Amino acid sequence: MSDVLTPEVDIDATAKVAVMKQLPEPGLRPVRAESPLHHAQLDEMAVAAAADSASAGVVLCEQKLRGHLVIRGDSKDRQFALSVTKVLGLELPGKLQSARAKDASIRWISPDEWLVVVPGDQAFAVETQLREALDGHFAIVNVSGGQTIISLSGPSARDVLMKSTPYDVHDRNFPIGKVVTTVFAKTQAVITRAGEESWEMVVRRSFADYCWLWLQDSCAEFGLAVQQDKGNKTMVFQTG
Amino acid sequence: MAQKNRLATGGRINRNRQLTFKFGDNVYSGFEGDTLASALLANGVNIVGRSFKYRRPRGIVAAGADEPNAILQMGASEATQTPNVRATQQELFSGLQCRPTNGWPNEQFDLMSYIGKVGGRMMPPGFYYKTFMYPASMWETYESYIRKAAGLGRSPTENDADSYDHVNRHADVLVVGAGPAGLAAALAAGRAGARVILADEQSELGGSLLHSDDTINGEPATDWLASVIAELSALDNVLLLSRATVNGYHDHNFLTIHERRTDHLADRAETGKVRQRMHRVRAGWVVLATGAHERPLVYGNNDLPGCMLASAVSVYIKRYGVIPGQRLVLMTTNDFAYQTAIDWHRAGREVAALVDARRNPRGERVAQVEKMGIRVIRGSAVIDVLGGKRVAAAQVAAIDEQGERVVGAVEAIRCDTVASSGGWSPAIHLSCHTGSKPEWREDILGFVPGKTVQRQLLAGGITGSYGLQDCLEQGYQAGALAAQKAGFNAVKPASFSIPCVKEQSAMPLFHVPHTLPTSRAPKQFVDPQNDVTAAGIELATREGFESIEHVKRYTAMGFGTDQGKLGNINGMAIAAKSLKQSIPQTGTTIFRPNYTPVTFGAIAGRHCGELFEPKRFSAMHAWHVKHGALFEDVGQWKRPWYFPKPGESMQRAVNRECLATRESVGILDASTLGKIDIQGKDAREFIGRIYSNAWAKLAVGKCRYGLMCGEDGMVFDDGVTACLGENHFVMTTTTGGAAGVLEWLELYHQTEWPELEVFFNTVTDHWATLTISGPNSRNLLAELTDDIDLDREAFKYMDWRQGTVAGVPARVFRISFTGELSFEINVQANYGLYVWEKLFEQGEKYHLTPYGTETMHVLRAEKGFIIAGQDTDGSAHPCDLNMGWAVAAKKPFSFVGKRGMQREDCVRENRKQLVGLKTRQPEVVIPEGSQAVKDPDQPKPMEMLGHITSSYYSANLGRSIAMGYIKNGINRMGETVCYPQADGTVIEAEICSYIFFDPQGERQNV
Repeated sequence: MSDVLTPEVDIDATAKVAVMKQLPEPGLRPVRAESPLHHAQLDEMAVAAAADSASAGVVLCEQKLRGHLVIRGDSKDRQFALSVTKVLGLELPGKLQSARAKDASIRWISPDEWLVVVPGDQAFAVETQLREALDGHFAIVNVSGGQTIISLSGPSARDVLMKSTPYDVHDRNFPIGKVVTTVFAKTQAVITRAGEESWEMVVRRSFADYCWLWLQDSCAEFGLAVQQDKGNKTMVFQTG
Repeated sequence: MAQKNRLATGGRINRNRQLTFKFGDNVYSGFEGDTLASALLANGVNIVGRSFKYRRPRGIVAAGADEPNAILQMGASEATQTPNVRATQQELFSGLQCRPTNGWPNEQFDLMSYIGKVGGRMMPPGFYYKTFMYPASMWETYESYIRKAAGLGRSPTENDADSYDHVNRHADVLVVGAGPAGLAAALAAGRAGARVILADEQSELGGSLLHSDDTINGEPATDWLASVIAELSALDNVLLLSRATVNGYHDHNFLTIHERRTDHLADRAETGKVRQRMHRVRAGWVVLATGAHERPLVYGNNDLPGCMLASAVSVYIKRYGVIPGQRLVLMTTNDFAYQTAIDWHRAGREVAALVDARRNPRGERVAQVEKMGIRVIRGSAVIDVLGGKRVAAAQVAAIDEQGERVVGAVEAIRCDTVASSGGWSPAIHLSCHTGSKPEWREDILGFVPGKTVQRQLLAGGITGSYGLQDCLEQGYQAGALAAQKAGFNAVKPASFSIPCVKEQSAMPLFHVPHTLPTSRAPKQFVDPQNDVTAAGIELATREGFESIEHVKRYTAMGFGTDQGKLGNINGMAIAAKSLKQSIPQTGTTIFRPNYTPVTFGAIAGRHCGELFEPKRFSAMHAWHVKHGALFEDVGQWKRPWYFPKPGESMQRAVNRECLATRESVGILDASTLGKIDIQGKDAREFIGRIYSNAWAKLAVGKCRYGLMCGEDGMVFDDGVTACLGENHFVMTTTTGGAAGVLEWLELYHQTEWPELEVFFNTVTDHWATLTISGPNSRNLLAELTDDIDLDREAFKYMDWRQGTVAGVPARVFRISFTGELSFEINVQANYGLYVWEKLFEQGEKYHLTPYGTETMHVLRAEKGFIIAGQDTDGSAHPCDLNMGWAVAAKKPFSFVGKRGMQREDCVRENRKQLVGLKTRQPEVVIPEGSQAVKDPDQPKPMEMLGHITSSYYSANLGRSIAMGYIKNGINRMGETVCYPQADGTVIEAEICSYIFFDPQGERQNV
């Protein structure tokens, strides 16, 4: 894999799969990264309205610029599941389940598909490790630029989801850790229950602005506060 | 103005809060807790509107959703105008403004009523069909007058200022109707622990208990009601919804509830508040406890103000403390309605007579009424009423045992109110929505729900059980059973003890006879809202309308806001009798959603304005906006269309963008194109089976264009696919086709070739694609990369390379949709705008020009590159497009569409083929869609040769260019065809190759 770590002139004609380190090298020159909701200036809103967040029914945060990797493979292949666990330190979740550790989470998406989320600067390293560990028929796709995570928390977060998705988000049907890919307003989202009153939605980049508009509207009656993203470790590459 | 009909005491109204409102131009007052109808009656307002067709004066008849006449136009401002508000369902608030829907110049004096008086017989059913048939060309003129004369209210001319939304809910048990049966059902299901929703259309839960004199387990019914609501409210698992009508019962136990949250408070919702909310409910089990509607009796002039339903009179007296008249004549076929005479008498006003159609009524209430000194006239009926704008007298006569003939003398009894009851019709509407066929029950003289395919139970009045004891017991059992079926434990049974009143059975009477034949008798209204009379129904059957559905449509019976709640059963019975068949033989029309009218706002919810449709944006969207781009919708994407400079027309902007690209370098945001990552050892094989051309030998580092065909051999998408690794490809699709192509690949993989080891993933949003095109594109790219060898031999046309651009890792594809030297730079979308801006920093010296989809279209058309979906319409195969080179007939495995394109019709002569077209006059641009003919002077219909699919002015060529289909066009190069235009002009054009520019393709290979 070392051939793709350094910039190259020619294509490696023998490579089975073109694995690519997609982030700029740190330190070369400042390169600005913009998350899908960059234009909404959420951090500025968060600073401006920090005082209101205690009384808000819903607190929203874009968990931006994370590393998103799609893993495809056969869940019935025990070796596949073990290898994923070895690299991530997380069990490969079954149907509608997710698992998380401090710096990584994995969501079941469909019978042969999972979404791994890691800090933004680790996507390439994790992909490389997974590729080394896995064998047989599988695929890993870096989709970090194509989606973002919006978290919703607070006493009214569930009410907002009820206005937005036909899926049953009641306690009895949606325990902590459950994940579904479902309709969200007129687009779709991967919705995870992260805690008692906290939820996460993975949305497509091109639909992120629509989701943000929808959420502002849906949250208005409950009071909406925006929180800064505290877990963004790729800020070193950012200038704005 | 004094509320002259308001009783001194009683009713569930708050006499400490007086509310003023405006009806027409008059100001009245009522109390908190009133409906608009009860307040109008309290003020002695007799006429609330004019009838639909005959313009007869009309008053309030009912107390609920079945009201046919009090249909008002509400709203204090233009933006809040709401048509067709039932005054019986609208709660009173201070400042409410409304006016009658029909009536010009006003409801008291309507000019059109002379038609009703003078020409009533001249407006039979089918009047409009019969009268306005000829000449057919005049229909539109007639229609505008008919609409003015008819109509039910008007829509506002300004935007609705209120906000509406939707909420999705899930329940183990949804109970519809919060009368005694529904309350008991919710109680049982709630106690079992099920998630329960109890919804009721009224302002208060309770149904008939709100005006009941009964006792339950020894306490007044209203006390029992209060304790049950307290228990239900305390349960976390129970949601109580009032002012919430379950309007539709759809497949899979999906029901829609229309909740009115602020309509009872003000003309407009407070800022930030939602006026109405649609609850979209998925229910495990549904308990229908919708009750029943009372049937009025059909007699002469029964539409005069003062003619009311018996139960409605009781509701007004006991729930609202309003007595709608001075002297009552009550006509009934059953014991239940005797209660109305008792209520009227107790309110201190006179009951002139109680007319019972039965010869020998013996129920307990009969004795009770007679003990009060009320005159009971047996075996008789009110055959018609007299009066102008209000009932003045009832004409009572003895009738025979079958209720078919008048057999005695007519006695006029002075009165101002005639209340009637023909029994009860179960409210089976929601059950009908599910497709369940109603069944007639002779013992209750009503239709009840038939077999259902839904997870649905029934309780109370809807089953034909009207006794309070039965309702409570059935409700509790249904609620317990529903919870049990939904997986909850059984609950302890509950017992209800109600003092029993013995009732005698009712007499079937759907049409009160008159001394005159129906056709000559005073009008006997069956459906007052649509002015349908008994005579009209009989006429319809005589004219050959035998199916009840046809009778309905011919007479308009059951149309309008009440949807037949009041009159349908009487109408069916009259039709049945006229057709000499039974009611079950005649059957009933089927009720459809919605149960009562729903505002468009509630249907739309928040899916309006900015939120109507998602808008998809690329990572560079903000830059496009800042630089003045106008946008074009491509699917849900907003793509820059062109970038006009101040004062520049579209044509001039596009000309400038086209020239700049061919002369130096232009840049296009191509991020919206679909991109599918394909991995697996069989990826190459799979692609070869999906595309029509060959893929076996495409080397790593190379790209190839492919055509994707359906099974029929017709092209449906195209794009360039790059070989990233031996087992790794990235496929591009059209912007609009991205999702469809991914589904197509999955479909073939999952159903046809699951043995192939391959995975597909969308990476459309992941990569930002920045396309620089033009002779200076290599020089520009060289400014920003030092690790990709851009030498023409090292990085050839249709190669791709990996490196960094502006410090950002990138895959660069040397492919071209303009025919120029082009590089498509792909970077992770988070860096898209950064790299775009860096290109502009370096691009200044090359006059880097942003261009949009319009310029892209012109440049590709100059080169004859097709756009799937514009130059194809699902009826062209690759050879029709003169792209036979993209079909590899000798591939070892077949490919999708191979057999299709070998069908007889696909290989015949004279198929329409895609060619270029040059107009004789170079400045004339043929409108897209223009039809080609050989001889424009031939008689119509002319023989069409084909049509124009793409047509532009090309600044580079200094002339117009077009692509289009011509029959056998490839073999007709040089011939002239004509395009006749709608304005009579004809554009002549010469058939040519569709490659107008750089036919050797030298520019893209430099």
